[in-house]
This record gives sequence, C-alpha cells and structure tokens, in this order.
Amino acid sequence: MKRTKLFTAIFAIVMVVAMLAMTACGGNKGGDTPAPAGSGSGEAPAAGGKIIIGATGPLTGDASSYGISVNQGAQMAVDEINAAGGLNGIMLELQMKDDKAAATDAASAYDQLFDAGMQLSMGSVTSGACDAFAQRATADGLFVLTPSASQQSIIEQGDTIFRLCFSDPEQGALAARDLSEKYAKIGVIYDTSDTYSTGLYEGFVAQMEELGKQDAYVTRTFDQDNKKDFSAQVEALKDCDVIFCPFYYTEASLVCKACANKGLNDIPIYGCDGLDGLAALIDDTIKNPITYITPLDVTSTDAKVKKFVDDYSAKFGATPDQFAADGYDVIYVIFEALKAAGVNDANMSAEDMSAAVVGILTNGSFSYTGITGQMQWTKEGACDKILNIVQLQ
Amino acid sequence: MVIAIDGLSLGAIYALIALGYTMVYGIAKMLNFAHGDVIMVGAYMIYTLCTLTWTTGSLPIWAGALIAFVVSIVVCTLLGMVNEKVAYKPLRGASPLAALITAIGVSYLLQGIAQLIWGAEQRSISILDRLGTVRVGTVAIRWSSIITVVCGAILMIGLTLFVKKTRTGRAMLAVSEDKGAAQMMGINVNKIVSVTFAIGSGLATFAALFYLPTTAISPTLGSMPGIKAFAAAVIGGIGSIPGAVVGGILLGVVEVVCNSFEATASYTTAIEFALLIIILLVRPIGLLGKKRRVKV
Amino acid sequence: MTMEGTKKKNLFAKGGWKNYITYIVIIAFLAIMIILNLTVGLGRGDKSTLARIAFSCILAVSLNLVVGFLGELSLGHAGFMCVGAYLGCFVANTLRDATALPELVVVIIAMIIAGIVAAIMGFVIGVPALRLRGDYLAIATLAFGEIVRCIFKNLKIFGGAKGMSTKIYNNNTLFILAFIVLLIVVFCCQNLINSKHGRAVIAIRDNEIAAKAMGINVTFYKLLIFIVAAFFAGIAGVLYGSTIGTIRQETFSFNYSIEILVMVVLGGMGSINGSLVAATIITYLNILLQNQLSGSLAPVKNIVYALILIVIVIFSNAPALKNFRESINPKAILARISKKKPDASVTRSDEAKWDRIPTKINIDEVLSADTRSGYADDPVPPGEDVVPMEATKDELYRPLDRKEEK
Repeated sequence: MKRTKLFTAIFAIVMVVAMLAMTACGGNKGGDTPAPAGSGSGEAPAAGGKIIIGATGPLTGDASSYGISVNQGAQMAVDEINAAGGLNGIMLELQMKDDKAAATDAASAYDQLFDAGMQLSMGSVTSGACDAFAQRATADGLFVLTPSASQQSIIEQGDTIFRLCFSDPEQGALAARDLSEKYAKIGVIYDTSDTYSTGLYEGFVAQMEELGKQDAYVTRTFDQDNKKDFSAQVEALKDCDVIFCPFYYTEASLVCKACANKGLNDIPIYGCDGLDGLAALIDDTIKNPITYITPLDVTSTDAKVKKFVDDYSAKFGATPDQFAADGYDVIYVIFEALKAAGVNDANMSAEDMSAAVVGILTNGSFSYTGITGQMQWTKEGACDKILNIVQLQ
Repeated sequence: MVIAIDGLSLGAIYALIALGYTMVYGIAKMLNFAHGDVIMVGAYMIYTLCTLTWTTGSLPIWAGALIAFVVSIVVCTLLGMVNEKVAYKPLRGASPLAALITAIGVSYLLQGIAQLIWGAEQRSISILDRLGTVRVGTVAIRWSSIITVVCGAILMIGLTLFVKKTRTGRAMLAVSEDKGAAQMMGINVNKIVSVTFAIGSGLATFAALFYLPTTAISPTLGSMPGIKAFAAAVIGGIGSIPGAVVGGILLGVVEVVCNSFEATASYTTAIEFALLIIILLVRPIGLLGKKRRVKV
Repeated sequence: MTMEGTKKKNLFAKGGWKNYITYIVIIAFLAIMIILNLTVGLGRGDKSTLARIAFSCILAVSLNLVVGFLGELSLGHAGFMCVGAYLGCFVANTLRDATALPELVVVIIAMIIAGIVAAIMGFVIGVPALRLRGDYLAIATLAFGEIVRCIFKNLKIFGGAKGMSTKIYNNNTLFILAFIVLLIVVFCCQNLINSKHGRAVIAIRDNEIAAKAMGINVTFYKLLIFIVAAFFAGIAGVLYGSTIGTIRQETFSFNYSIEILVMVVLGGMGSINGSLVAATIITYLNILLQNQLSGSLAPVKNIVYALILIVIVIFSNAPALKNFRESINPKAILARISKKKPDASVTRSDEAKWDRIPTKINIDEVLSADTRSGYADDPVPPGEDVVPMEATKDELYRPLDRKEEK
C-alpha cells in the first residue's frame, strides 16, 4: 500500500510538470505560426501567411465514413486552391479534428482549434457534435458553414452559423408530397436516436398531416444500438407500396439487404440526401428500384462535377459521396466569400474575418454554383438550393 | 412465423457469440471484451477473401466462398490464440479486472487496425443470401435463416458433445472447475486455455458468416452484438453452454419481436436489458447457471 | 484491510502532513494553474482540459468507492452521470429562465439536485446489487446504464434524440469551480473510507460472510456506497454539462462507463490517489491524441491508446514482472541508496516462482497455521511474520476471484 502511495505521489508531480510543459507550449503557439499539419500544401509561396479553417468530424467510430469523406473532399479543395496561388498569395489551411460524432469531443476540439488560431470554420459533420461546436462559435462570433449538420436548431443558435445542406424538415416535407402523390401506402423506417433521421421524419409527418393523409403511412423505428439487422422492420412493412428510408446510406443498404433476403424485390426504396452513396454498398442481389433526393449526381455530365468526381476517384480510389461534395463545396464557398469580401490580411482576427464572410453570404446577391448545385443563403443561415430527385439503376 | 424464424436466426448468432464468451469465462475467469471484435475481423476476412477468389479464380462462387470461409476460420482461430498469448496470458494470476482492461485495449486495437486496413467505409457482401428464399405455405423464409438455425444447432450440439466426450473437453471442464487441481492431475492448463480461445474465435467466425446476410461490415461491427451476447451469456448463466444457447435465442427473439412493433421499437434495447435485470433478480445466477456455495 | 484504517491513524499520529498529501497536491496544482492563467494566460483548450480532468477525477474516485472499496464491479457509472447531467441541467435551465440568480448559485443548486436524483437511482440499482454478485452485478449495472440512455432518448421534454443544450459556464472560472468540487468529493471519500463506516465497507469487500458475522449491516453499507457514488457521479454530470454545453444520450454509453473503469483499475483498486492520477493521465492522453492525430491520422489514435493501455496494464499487473517492478520501485531504490535494510513489504520475494502453482494461497495458509500453532519455538518473531503476509495479500487481492473460488 505504501508503495502505491509513493508511486502516485511521484506520478502526480510528473503530471504537474507535464501540464506546465503543455501550457508553456500552448502559450507559445499563440505567437508563432502553427506548425504545418501535414496538409499536403507544402509548396506554399512565402507571401501572405495563411488562414486557418477549423473543422471537426467523426474520423473514427461508427460514423467515421461521413467524417472521412468530408475531410477528403475539403482537403482536396484546399489543395486545389493553394496550388492555384491561394487567396492573393494567402494560403488556406484545413485543420480537421476527430470528434467521434460526439458533443464532448467536438467541444474540446473546438477549444484546441481556437487556441491554434482558427479564423473560420466548417463546424462539425454531424448534428450532435455541431450543436456543441456552434454554441461556442456563436459566443466567439466565429463563422461556421457546416457541410452536413442539418438539424434545424443549429443555425438558430447564432447569426454566424450557416449550413450547406438542406434542412431536415424541408426535405421530409418534399418527400411527403412526392410520395403521397405516387403511392397509396407508405412504409417509413427511421432512427429514433439520430437527429437527421428524426428531423426528416418530423417534417414528413407534419406535411402528411397537412395533406390530410395521416393514415397513408406506417412507421417502424430503430436506434443506434440496434441498427445492424432490419429483418423485423422490413417484415412489418412488406405490404406497403414503398419504403421511405429517411436516414443514411449505411443503414439503407441493410434495409435493401433485408428486402432481398425476404424476396421483396419490387418494393421501391425511397430516401433523402443521406441515401447518396448507397450504390457503392449494394451488389447485384438487390433489385429494388431506389429513388432519392440529392443535390449531387455523380453521373452528371456537368464539367465541374465530372472533374471533381474524376479527381476524387483518382486521389482516393473511391467514388465521392455527397459528404465529400459538401466538404469540397464548403471550402470553395468560404474561398469565394473571402475573395468577394476583399480579405487581404491573413492576420485578421477570427471575429473580423467571420463578420466579413457573414456580410457577403447574407448580402442577398451572393450565390455560388458548386458540385451540389446553385446555392444562396438566408439571414438565418439556411441554404437555398434545388432539390433533385434521382433514380438509381 | 417469419418473426419467429428471424428471431431464431438472430438468436442463433447471439448464441454462437455468447458461447465464446461463456467458454472463455468458464476457463479463464475473464470477460473477453474483445470477443465481439473477433467477429468483425472474421467478417472482414470473409469479405476480402471472397472478393479475391471471386475476381481472380475460375472457381464457382460457392467454392470460392467455402475456401474464404475456411481460411477465415483459421485466421480468426490464430488471432484468438495470439490474443490470449500476448494480452491475457501474462496476466494470469493477476486480478481479473486487469485482464478485462487489456481485453478492452485489444478491442480498441483491433478496431483501429481494421480501420487502417479496410477503411471506415462500410462493406457488404452477399454469400448466404444468394440462396434466396423458400416458400412454406404462404410465407417466404430465407435460406440463410434456415442455414443459420440448423448450423447453429449442429455446432452447439457438437460443442456439448466435444466438452462431454473428448479428453480435451473433459480437461476443459476440469480446468474451469479448479485450475490448481487440474494442473496437479497433469492437465496442461496453458494448452487448454489456448484451445478454449481458439474454439471461441472459431465460433465467432461462424457467427460472422451468419451475420453477413443481414448486416454490413464496419470496424465497429462487433461491439453491440458483443455486448448483447455478453448479456445473453449472463441470462443463461455465465459459464454454462446450454445457458448461452437459451440466453442467445431468448434475446434474439425478444429483439426481433420488439423491432416489429411501432410502440416498442424505440425501446428495444431498454426492453432487452430490463428483461436481463428481471431474470437476474429472479434467478441471480442466470437461467441455467450453477449455484456455487460461498464459504468463509 | 482493516489494516489500512489503523495504518492511516498511525500516520496521522506520526506526521500529520502525509495524510493531507492528496489535498496539498491538488491545491498546489490548482494554485499553479490559477497563477499561470492570471500571468501567462492559459489557452482555452488547456482550461477546458482542466475542467474535464476535474470531472473525470470525480467520476473515477466515486467509481472507486464501488469497485475498489466495496469490491463490486459496476459498468453503469455513466448512467448515473447521464441522469445527473440531464436533470441538473434541466433544473439549471429552468432556474435561469425563472429567476435572476447568479450563475454560480444556479450551478450549485443544479449540482445538489442532480446529485440527489442520481443518488435515488443509485438506491434503485443498489437494491438488485444486494442479490447479485460479481459479473452478474456488472452486467446488471451495464444494463441499467443502457436503459437510462434509452429512456432519455425517448423523452421529448429533454430534447429526445436532439439532446439538450445548457449554458456553458465561464471558461475562466469553470476549472476552479470544478477543482473545488473535486476537493470536496475527495475529502468526503477519504473521510468516509477512514471512518468506522469505511472500515465496515472494506470488511464487506474482504469477506462478506465474516463481516456479517461481526454484526456489520451489509445491506445498509452496500446501499450507502452505491448511493454516495451515484451522488458524486450526478454532480460530475452537471460539471460535464457546464463544460460541454450539449447533453446527448449517446455520450453516456457503456463505453464511457468502461473508460471510467479503466481509470480506476489503472490507478489501483482502492487507491483514491491512484484514481486521481490515472483519471488525469487518461483524460489528458485522450485530448492530446485528439489534438496531435488529426485529419487522416485519426485512425492511429485508437491504436496508440490501445497499445498504451495494454502495455501499462501488463507491466503493472503481470505476476511474471513482479521482481522487475520491485527493482525499479523508487522506494526500494531509495532504500538501496541509503543502504538501509529495505522495508519488509518490498523485499524481493520468491512469489514469482510460487505463482506458477495456483493453489499457493491455500498452501501458504496451511503452512502458516501449522507453524504458528504447532511449534512454539518458531524462529520468526510473530509480529514480523504477520505484516508482510497482510501486505502481500493486499497486493494480490482480487475481488472477483474471491467470490467465485471460495
């Protein structure tokens, strides 16, 4: 027992020293330019310094495929911009920290990014994490343009919080209108533990009630601890004319599998923008027609989209999903806004730079046409863009 | 009817995983938290090897899948044994909690390595589900369910016979009863523990194969089934082979039934765990657990 | 383990300051941080790291009461924290809307209410704990934690899946508040453990039946410890809410409970100082890894963390490394330098060899019983014989084993 005590005392002292060292380093960081974070933009010319764009996203854990896509898409955009000379010689630097899709980690990542001198941000990839991120950003007056955190309450937190994706209720409402026209009996499955999915579902239900078709749908649910097997839900919905899947493609691929397993090959699967990327996850055993709302069409012949898809495939060996496109677009929107605002000083404070970008985004005339279509922003931070409905072969 | 079959097939998967938990617990007296991740590795192995044999070889699909599966079993079995040698064996004789922590460490390690090798992107492959469905009366039942239930039953019966009839099996019983006495009777305890881990990991590969028709592969594939199988093992009485089977099937059926109804689906996990607590309150040693007398 | 109580008393009699070393270190640490913050200015990340360290310490210390002192494995500690975080922050939000109380008062009221609600939950889960033991209790607590989470997920009043937002406490003073709460928690735990009640709890851990035979009210003490631990976890939940600002049920999954358990086990079961150090190291390590391994390096994070965990546990627990550990034990080195005869409790022993025979304890007991009763002219003086024996038993102590094997 004595032995342990002495051990712990010594450890405590070591920790104090370590903490001191840490804070000392932290203090230095503010003054120096932060070390290059291996962002692949090594060929930066000396002129102009750099603007740090902070972001967090799930890079490990269950939701990591989304965060990694955003990271890759955004990093690609940053590399392209820097290779083309940056913003009048000012380089962009993306720092993306892992938040495991959790608010706890997003909060600590925000604080670290803040200390590292983050001037603008992409917020977080997932809604839960972005909630914590945006709360802090609002207090600091920091600009946030989240690629994919679609929960409605996030942009309501402050004037500097924007999003690039659709809002959940809007999409749910669109789906409700479209579905109720085409089908008499709609089966819905949604994830009760996920904000994206519950948001879509609530929008869908509200619209259905408005249309007076409360009886036209049947609902089943699942949650994050219980999303590896959808046999039961599909079984319960097998008599419906369509299965509406307001959640991400990872789970949707399992719904398709469950349909194939049960021999339900004709029942259409209908989804929202989260379903983009489904094609890569299903094979020839799945024959159901799949329809979804999306801003991105990878098969598009549009030159910009084609270039993005080709570059991305060449660089990462995978077809980009909507998350990658969102990440890519966010960086370009920030870049264009900076350009329009005439930002020429990399040492501008975060608050001033954010105010400049916000001013451009909300001036009513700024619009940007990216991979995910033409976008404009409202004062509240919502993004106006056109919703496409795509059919997957 | 379909619910029952789906439940049975999920239950059989849980039971196979729970068997691994229960056997390791019986012999090594430790909770092997990394067990779920062996399933994940098994699933990835099957995926990789299947894609490899299907794209390169001229073998028929079933033969490629069979080869992939057999190789995966071997790899997982080896993985289980290596785990045991590196992470748990040095801690034999120390507090079981220390081994629990290394098991958690191994679990993180396997997940991290899997993400490095295969990436975070979800993978999916169709093997058993290629068999399609069979019509019984008015309902369509998928072949993969039937195979899961039948194979699961065969494996469990086989395992029971193995433990009861063979020399190694009886040695395992002896070790789980009293390690010291078993050693004095000339049983090589180290070997028996290795064999136990090997069997547990092999069963996990079967679980992976049966799990693939309904799920997709990601680095965190094993964590929740692992926990649920742990719960199943405890419901049945940890350390008891028939108990693990009963617990697994019970949990699988409850899960599928809960998921089938709108009112209960969002409470599925809570209902499963509440069931566990109620069973434990009524029978603190699980349904088929052996009561041990506690002496001073 | 009644030994420890008396030992502490002796220490108090000899040199009082040793008894307060924990408080002295915490206060000194906090003082250095405050001074640094006022002079150099700590980064925001550093300050939130400090706050996170403080509530992790509270969680680890309170879980140590259950796992280390009561000897029951609990995997549902995050469940109590979840209850505390949701209820406490709900109360805080209501108070902020309804009254104009200063923020500090609001948080303190929230902490007290959260603690009480969590303590009630502690009572609820403590009741089955009276019937279950070992791993059965562990899975029951795990189940409890998951049930709590599932219920909060479905409660619309707490935001359902979207979670609940609360006000972030002022970053400059939050860590001071958190450390003061930590001091109070450590003070309560130390005093509880060193009191009559604490000795009763330890007696239950060491041998429940014997403790019962001595007239100790096992039911009362088991419930007491569960309630106290839950109370502190609830308080930590409010601190969590005030640090992070967003409360979502998936944070409090069993993975979080396990992380707290890792802190307790690494720090040493039944060592409050150990829990503090381990909680600090693990929290700091997590944030450090998150900070250093960003972008495409993130997957390496898990691997590094896992390897550190495995190596530390094997190094500090493997029976085969016992002699090595003793050879680098600072106390033994000090003793060697000063050429004093080393303390009996740290002498090299032949235990590593004995460990290969699993029935060692039984043989030991038989032998020592024989020598003491049968031979009056025992060459070993009785006093010296007893102390090292107790000490080694302490170190080899295994709560789960005992339950299963005896």
